[in-house]
Amino acid sequence: MSKLTIDRRSLLKAGAASLFLAGMPVSGLAKGKAAGRICVIILQGGMDGLATVPPIGDPDLMRMRKAISPENYLPLNDFFGLHPALKFYAQLMARGDASAVHATAFPYTKRSHFEGQNLIEGGGLSPFSEKTGWLGRSLDLAGVSGRSLSLDMPLILRGHHDNDNFYPASIRGSGRPSSKLLEKIAMGHDIEAAQVFNKVARKSEENIQVPRDPASLAQYAGQAMAQANGPLASVIRVDDFDTHANQVYQDNTDEGPLARQLGVVDEVIAGYRRGLGDAWDNTIILTLTEFGRTVAANGTLGTDHGYASVGLLAGGTLAANGVVADWPGLSKKDQFDQRDLMATIDYRSVCAACVEKTLGLEHDVIASQVFRQPDLPRVFDHLFT
Amino acid sequence: MNNQFSIAQRVGLMFRYDQELPQDMEMWIKAQLNAPSPALGIANTYADVAEWPEKLQPDLSQRAHLWRRYRDLKQQQREGKNGQDTEAAKQANRRENLMRKKDELKFVQRNIYGADQVKLRLTAFWANHFTIGNTFDTGSTIGHAIDEGILAKLNGSFADMLYGMTTHPGMLEYLDNVDSAGERSEQAKHCRRKPDCQAGLNDNLGRELLELHTVSVAAGYTEDDIRNAAHVLAGWGVWFDEDLSAMRKNTGTTDHWNAYKKRWAEPGTKKVMGKTISGGRNGLRQLTDFLANHDHTIHYISSKLCQHFVSDAPTKAQIEAVKLVWQQSDGDLQAIHTQVLKLAMTATEPKFMWPMTWLFQVVRLSGATYFKGWNEIYEYQDNLMDSKEVLEELGQSFWSSRQPNGYSSDKEEWLSAEMFERRIRFADAIYQNGRTRRSVNKIMDRIGATPQTRALVASVGSSPKDQFIALMCSPELMGLNYV
Repeated sequence: MSKLTIDRRSLLKAGAASLFLAGMPVSGLAKGKAAGRICVIILQGGMDGLATVPPIGDPDLMRMRKAISPENYLPLNDFFGLHPALKFYAQLMARGDASAVHATAFPYTKRSHFEGQNLIEGGGLSPFSEKTGWLGRSLDLAGVSGRSLSLDMPLILRGHHDNDNFYPASIRGSGRPSSKLLEKIAMGHDIEAAQVFNKVARKSEENIQVPRDPASLAQYAGQAMAQANGPLASVIRVDDFDTHANQVYQDNTDEGPLARQLGVVDEVIAGYRRGLGDAWDNTIILTLTEFGRTVAANGTLGTDHGYASVGLLAGGTLAANGVVADWPGLSKKDQFDQRDLMATIDYRSVCAACVEKTLGLEHDVIASQVFRQPDLPRVFDHLFT
Repeated sequence: MNNQFSIAQRVGLMFRYDQELPQDMEMWIKAQLNAPSPALGIANTYADVAEWPEKLQPDLSQRAHLWRRYRDLKQQQREGKNGQDTEAAKQANRRENLMRKKDELKFVQRNIYGADQVKLRLTAFWANHFTIGNTFDTGSTIGHAIDEGILAKLNGSFADMLYGMTTHPGMLEYLDNVDSAGERSEQAKHCRRKPDCQAGLNDNLGRELLELHTVSVAAGYTEDDIRNAAHVLAGWGVWFDEDLSAMRKNTGTTDHWNAYKKRWAEPGTKKVMGKTISGGRNGLRQLTDFLANHDHTIHYISSKLCQHFVSDAPTKAQIEAVKLVWQQSDGDLQAIHTQVLKLAMTATEPKFMWPMTWLFQVVRLSGATYFKGWNEIYEYQDNLMDSKEVLEELGQSFWSSRQPNGYSSDKEEWLSAEMFERRIRFADAIYQNGRTRRSVNKIMDRIGATPQTRALVASVGSSPKDQFIALMCSPELMGLNYV
């Protein structure tokens, strides 16, 4: 596997190019029809990028977090390894169907879960500044719909009237409601709630039995997305990444919460792969987390809230393989606030590139209308060409 | 709705189908704030309402004992000792020694049969404010925190409730404080000399104490403030299954609600947001008292109370009215609650009902028996799900594993087709299986349903089941707007 580390200069060049383009007239919103599919896996709690894709070639890594580093990581190249729980993902990488972007973050440095989660889903300039989400706005601009695999409707998908959610019910002693009844109830509500009840009515026509584990939901989502009129985007949440304590257990009956949750992510990606079938070739899957964690281990064999982390990308549309990073280093002086991994790639740019590739929107439109940041650097070429 | 029911919806759980209605609602609210709070429920689905038996309501030391016992037997089960690895033994261990299912059913039954509905709504607000998510280890303490840390403290000061919840064993475990050690603590020094020993700071609770429980991010505190708060907290708490002799040795007590391990504590004074906090056990009370009366706390929680009880978007004047009472009363919760409820009584726009609140209201209005009795917790019944399953399906339970920011009171967070589908399905399930005691027409007459609600119910045809679903999922009962 080739090491695909891009240096700071090439990223700055990408930034300058998009600045230049920002001054050009925008010809139209979309290049044409949405050409692909986009799946977002939200990793809730702040995923530890340094344990997920450990920079084993960095001498500071083991010095600062020996107690919590997995020993049997999978080597990707001389510099980066992969957490052993990501078995399927490793196979995708070997095939050139996956790539990780490292030392990356949304521009948010205050380390609150709830502000961070709101920002990475809302995609505005500050936490709680948006009532809709960046994927929802993208879908609205592209005129296509998306689906969340959750009981709630996550902020990231709000912003397009046709987006919906799916989470199988298991309520004994009740039947599926008739669409006629639901339509009547919808008619009694104001437009906002009526829209929601009408989506229930639409759903009541289908009868889908899917187990509720994330991997099965991902497989179902992949199948739905592969259909002719299916949603072109989906969102799945995996929680429990807030590994303040006992990140890696020494006990061999339990590998600890991080390995467990990364195992779930691996199964979700495998589920998508199975469900998407041939549609895999024009799909991109990306992870999203509110922040990374401290470089050094804390006092309870875990890590506290930090800044940059890693983004896991997979799908047939990726051109990059290996690890894309402008590695900042881990020594005290290279850290953000002398505690966290520094971010050298704006993860909004990565999200924007995935939207550009799959939903066919122009980068400048995404930058200004989705992320409210007209000068957002374009990193498309680093990932897709 | 008539005055009695519109107020009971907003600040309570609705009057039960057979309950006499008060004439003076202001007097009623006042009386409600001081109502006795026995844990009312039913032993089985045909039994009369009665108080939960004492043996199902263990105190904290009994809970700790049960939890230790559970862990012991579980260990024996792993080792295949004493016949503990049979299915029957495993099941007996869970039933006898775990508390979650019992506590969750007790909470649900209280909310359905309780005559203290306003206190129960306030309890839900504060239990959500001081969220303790389920980490399995906390399954035996969450119910205790809700009963003894919130409900029993509703008429005290916010400062007392804050200190009580910060030091509650459930909170100390949930937010990882039990293993946290000051960087200059004796334990940390001792560990530095030993290769396999790990002791140091964990800032999880310190961070959320500031961000979620008191001043909020608007206060602009620094990472140092968070770290120093975590240093004040270092030493508090032991694992709930800790051996009692070890606990006594480390803390000088076997009281889990007052367990402070000096060896793990950070020596010396600390500074949090400009306030100097002394070292030792008393430092935490100084810190929580300082935070409890901080302007940012008063503003943040006053706004949150208004958003929960008054309006999704409370006005500045409404928030200021609560803040004023908070300041004048030195954070007396009874005075604060009285003010919030007064604002809620006169509010005119609808306030969206949380899923669990709505479910309790539907059951109370219709007189359904939709939950099993305390003697039936472990019995499978075809059409009555466990309270645990019901709340999980609804998407809202204080015993679920979830993030420490709790559930939002903002309608926007609940507008989801799957969430709405659950309302329809539960209205259906309650009608079909709950042996409801009141017809749709009787309920509409009693609550004084609006013409729009009656029109909606009429529009779905003559099926009593469909009419019941339409009524319970009408804008009026869900707290939403009409067309």
